[in-house]
This record gives sequence, structure tokens and C-alpha cells, in this order.
Amino acid sequence: MTTIRRLIKRPIFLFLLLTGLLLTSCGSRVASSNWPGLSTDGEKLYLANGPTVTAYDAATQALAWQYPGADEAKPNLLFYAAPSVEGNRVIFGDYGAAGGMLNPKVTVSVYARENIDNGSTPPELWTSSDVAFDKIVAPPLQVGDVVYVGTADNLVLALDATSGDAIWPEPFEAGHSIWGQPAYRDGVLYVTSLDRSLHALDAQSGEELWSTEFEGAIASRPVLNEDLIYVGEFGGQVHGIDISDGNILWSAPAENWVWGAPAYADGTVYYADIDGNVYAVDAQSGEPRWQAKAAGAIQTAPLVVDGIVYVASEGESTEDVTGGALTAFNVGDGSQVWRVLTTTPLFTAPVAVGDAVVVALQNDTSILNAYDLQTGAPLWTISPPAEG
Amino acid sequence: MFDTFIVNPMINALLVLYDLLFNNYVLAIAVFTILIRLITLPLNLRQQRSMQKTQEMQPQIQAIQKKYKDNPQRMQEEFQKIGYNPMDSLTGCLPLLIQMPILFGLYRAIMVTLGSTPQAMFELTQRTYDFVNLTPLLPVSNFFLWLNLGQPDPWYILPILVFGTMWLQQKLLTPQSAPQKDGKDQNDPAQAMSKSMQTTMPLMFGFFSLSFPSGLSIYFILSNVIGIAQGYYMRFITAKEKEEAALGKKQKKKVVISEPPPSSADIAVAESVEADLQPASSGNSSAPSSKKTQSKRRRRSKK
Repeated sequence: MTTIRRLIKRPIFLFLLLTGLLLTSCGSRVASSNWPGLSTDGEKLYLANGPTVTAYDAATQALAWQYPGADEAKPNLLFYAAPSVEGNRVIFGDYGAAGGMLNPKVTVSVYARENIDNGSTPPELWTSSDVAFDKIVAPPLQVGDVVYVGTADNLVLALDATSGDAIWPEPFEAGHSIWGQPAYRDGVLYVTSLDRSLHALDAQSGEELWSTEFEGAIASRPVLNEDLIYVGEFGGQVHGIDISDGNILWSAPAENWVWGAPAYADGTVYYADIDGNVYAVDAQSGEPRWQAKAAGAIQTAPLVVDGIVYVASEGESTEDVTGGALTAFNVGDGSQVWRVLTTTPLFTAPVAVGDAVVVALQNDTSILNAYDLQTGAPLWTISPPAEG
Repeated sequence: MFDTFIVNPMINALLVLYDLLFNNYVLAIAVFTILIRLITLPLNLRQQRSMQKTQEMQPQIQAIQKKYKDNPQRMQEEFQKIGYNPMDSLTGCLPLLIQMPILFGLYRAIMVTLGSTPQAMFELTQRTYDFVNLTPLLPVSNFFLWLNLGQPDPWYILPILVFGTMWLQQKLLTPQSAPQKDGKDQNDPAQAMSKSMQTTMPLMFGFFSLSFPSGLSIYFILSNVIGIAQGYYMRFITAKEKEEAALGKKQKKKVVISEPPPSSADIAVAESVEADLQPASSGNSSAPSSKKTQSKRRRRSKK
């Protein structure tokens, strides 16, 4: 007791203790902050944003469910990967949590929950713990009764979507983290990775069929057309790739990194770079059609709906504060249709539901803002839910 | 401000080293650690010498403190006579205090450089200087052996190494104390602090390493290993200096005998010089040796 009292009296001891606590608390065991993940099934909006995953009815903006529930505190868990919805089943992953004060091992879990509407905690279908040791940044992909999950510790997992059991004998291991949602076509799973490669995997076994390497890392998902795959990369290019063998058919340049996924619609590929440029190129040849400028840096995928390209970006900046912007461009010539400014930068790709285009914000007052697809007029906002 | 002057230069230094060192992030951290230790080396050496000197003066300091406890003015004068400045003991904490912004900065730098989330990687693009070409460097390799460098070591090996190396470093860098017959060292705050720090610091940092990213724990371990080497070097140098000084003292004694009797102030100064000249390995016997010398001198002065 005397020793403890003596130690406490020593300022240097307290200083060290405080420093260590600060270091450990600011960092926790998992890098904790990211941009919200947003998805929709056309009726509900699903938002993974830090300590909670929530679903809202798009028509009424009523809370459909929230995980963890308000009475179910899970302070160490964080969610940022957009949930995947298939029928009545919603699947999402977390950023991992350590085993306890003296257990540094971080384990990551995948959750399958019932997609309910009554505003309560969604009933558990299954939870698969210890599937990985580093966070799930990529939205999972459900194909029938299989869910494919990419992790930040370089793994691609195939789990039985009804039970959570592993399907492949071994997970596929890429060269670096997987941040983009995988894509699926005819028994082949296409996975992009920060290892600068697009991997084609046998969806049944997880074996690699082919891979194509690019100049820069790939942070976004691959986008499929009938016979091409489109990939944007940090080397400042978007590529059109033969879906059968991975050969690069064309490459279209950008002025800086292409962070967000490209978007394909009606024979045109739209993409954006972190300098705020928006591009439209021919989907078969990569020939440029037009180029436009957004309000600021773009990390998100463009959204194309009914002849308009919607791009979420950073917005106007003052000395301390950077805002965000949602800009609508005409698909024909890239002319600006409308632009709305937001109080915080928009780092999450917008989604369309009904007559609204919806953006996610990292904001204390509103987490979802909806604007009229045609005019950009504000429709509604949703405030953050009570934390679990 | 902190980001501009501490974190961002660290991020860019780590990236440049990562580029030069075959895209090996652990090597980059290793070389970065060596650079940091080199930059802080003069300060560390000076502080260590100061600690050593203060430690050797402890018997005299305590005697003065006891004798003039009601006369601070006189106490200061006597301290000055033996070349002791109480403020020096505060400089003992200086290298540690300098380590703190480095630690905070490096923690941030490692987390941002590893870019383990899209947000962290985007932050990296905004903190990188123009001369660093980020595209070919990314993604920074996040695995080394069994370690995910952005997460703590799940097998406890790094926390144990952090504890072990820091304990050894503290032991080597802390000057040997002179045990007092009457147990006075128990009441010496500086000595008590040194002793408690020798154990508590490694324990604390070992515990913190359970939460630190492995990259930061690797920095600690390498930094401690360099500290251990520095400790051995300092001990070697100190022993050598004392050996040389002891030879010089023997020659000086012959001259001293023919000089007039010294004043009490001279005795004190001489004691401090002698205390300085004690070899590190004989630090435990400095107090008795000092008393013997004092009585010898008094005998000489009577003659």
C-alpha cells in the first residue's frame, strides 16, 4: 500500500501511466474509424456506421431494426461494411474485438440476422465467430445459400448462408486486404484486392482460376458487364478486362487514383478520381465520351439512375471544416443537373430508393440525407439511433 | 501543429525508408528507430553522465542536506562547492519526456502508414509530401512473420520482449546506488524513483504492448536493444575514465602532501572529485571509501 502511495506521488509515474492509457485508448486494438457502409434492397436502407447496424424503411424512415439493440451493449464492436440482404436474411461483418484486457488476440465475426420491420433487435440466424483476425471492410456477397466475405487479413471466405459453416476447405488468401465486395457470375467469383490484382476464383472450391495484376492497389469492387469486368485502381486507370481469361482489353486514364468502383450503364462506364474528376468512357473500347468536375475529392462509386449520374464527394472547405457535395450530371454530356452541399464530406457511395437518392454522413445530427432524384430537393433526414 | 511537425514528417520518413528498404516495413521501422536513437544520443549520454555523477555524490549531498536542513541558503552554497545542481536531477526525466511526443507521433504514423481502413489510407494521401510517390508504395505490407503490424501480437511474444528488453535497459542505464549503513537510500527520493521506475516502467510498457500495434512494439524492442548497447558502452567508458583518473590521482597525492592543510570546503570538493573517480563497479563501496579518504586527509593535515 505504501509502495503504491509512493508511486502515485511521483509525477513521472503518473505521466507515464497517463501516456500509456492515452495511447492504448485512442487506438484500442483495432483501427477504429471508417466511413459508413450503406446498401438498399429497394425497400429498406441498411447502414453500418460504427457501433450499430441499422435498417430503415425507405418510405416512412421508421427504424426497422437495430443491432446491437439498445439494451444489448457491445461497446467494442464496430461495423462499417455495408450489410448484404437476400430475402429475409441480412448478413454483415464487424471490425473485430480483442478477447479481453489481457488477451490481445483480435477475432472478427460475421452475423446473419432476420430482416424484421418492428424496430427491435433482429433475431439471430447464426453468428460465425473467429472467421478472421482482421476487420471486414468489404460488404459480403450472398449468392443463393452461400455468402462470400472478404477480410482485411487478406482472406476470402465462403460460408453457408443458412448456418455460417465454412464451405471451402481453406479460405482463399490474397496478397493483401480485400476492401471491395466480390462479384459473381456463372460459378466464378471475382475478387479485387489491395494486392493490385483481380482474382477469379472457382466459387465452389475457392481455387484461383486466374489473376490479373495492375499498377496500383484496388480499393473498390469489380463491376461486371456481359463479357467484361471493370476495375478502377490507384495507378490512375480504369480497365476493361475479358471476363473469361483476365486479359486487359482497354485502359482508360484518370488524373489521379480511381478509388471508387466504376459504374456501368447502357454501354458506358462512369468513374471518378480523387482529384474530383468524373469520366464517361465507352464500355467496349474505353474511348472517352466526356469529363466533368465534382465539388471535391471523390472516393465513391458513381450511381447511374434514369439518365443521371450521381457523384458523392468532398465539398467546399474552410480552414478547419471540409463539407461534402452530391452532384448530378447528365449521362449524355456530363453537364451538371444539380448539386447539393452537405456539412460533412461524403465518402460513401449514394444509393437510390424510390424517388430519392440517399447519402450517408458522419454527422452528429443526421446520418442519412435523401434528395429528390430529379431536382436535388431535400426530402428527409434520419438522425443517429441510440447506441447499444 | 503536432501533426505538421511530428506525425507527418514521421509518416514521410517511414514511407521513404520503406521505399529504400525493399518495401519491408519492419526494416523501415528498424532504421527509423536507429535514426531516432542517434538524434537523441547526445542528450541520452549527457543525461546518463549527469545521473552517474549525481549518484556518486549522494553521500555528500545527503550529508549537506542533513547538516543544513534549516538553512537552505547555505545548503545551496555547499551544493555549489561540490559541483552539484539539484535541478540536474530533473534532467534525468528529459529523454523520457522527449520520448513521449515521439511515441504519440509514431503511434499515429504507424496506424496511418499501414492504412488499415479506407479512411486511414485516404488520410495518408493528405499527409504525404509531394516528393513521395505513394502509388508504387501502397499498400504498405501489413504482415511480418506471424504479425499483423497494425494489431497487437496475439501470441504475447512482443509484450514479453518489450518488458524484458526495457527491464534490462533500465537496469543498465540506472547508475549503481551506494548502500547506506543506516538505510538512508530508502529516504532518497531520486534513488527510490530510479528503483521503482526500473520495474514499473517495463511492466507498464509490457502491459501497454498488449494493446499497441505490433509495429509500435517492434519500435520499443529495437529502441531498448539500442539502449542496452548504449548502457554497456557507457559503463565501459565510465570505467575507463575512472581508471585513467585513478592513475592521475596517485601521482597527484605526492604533491598534495607538501601543500598547506586544506579548508573544509577543499575537503568537500576533493571528496566530490574522488567520488567521481570511483570506478562504476566499486560504486557500492563509495561511501566507506570516502570516509577513509577523509580520515587520511585529516591525519595528513595534523602532520
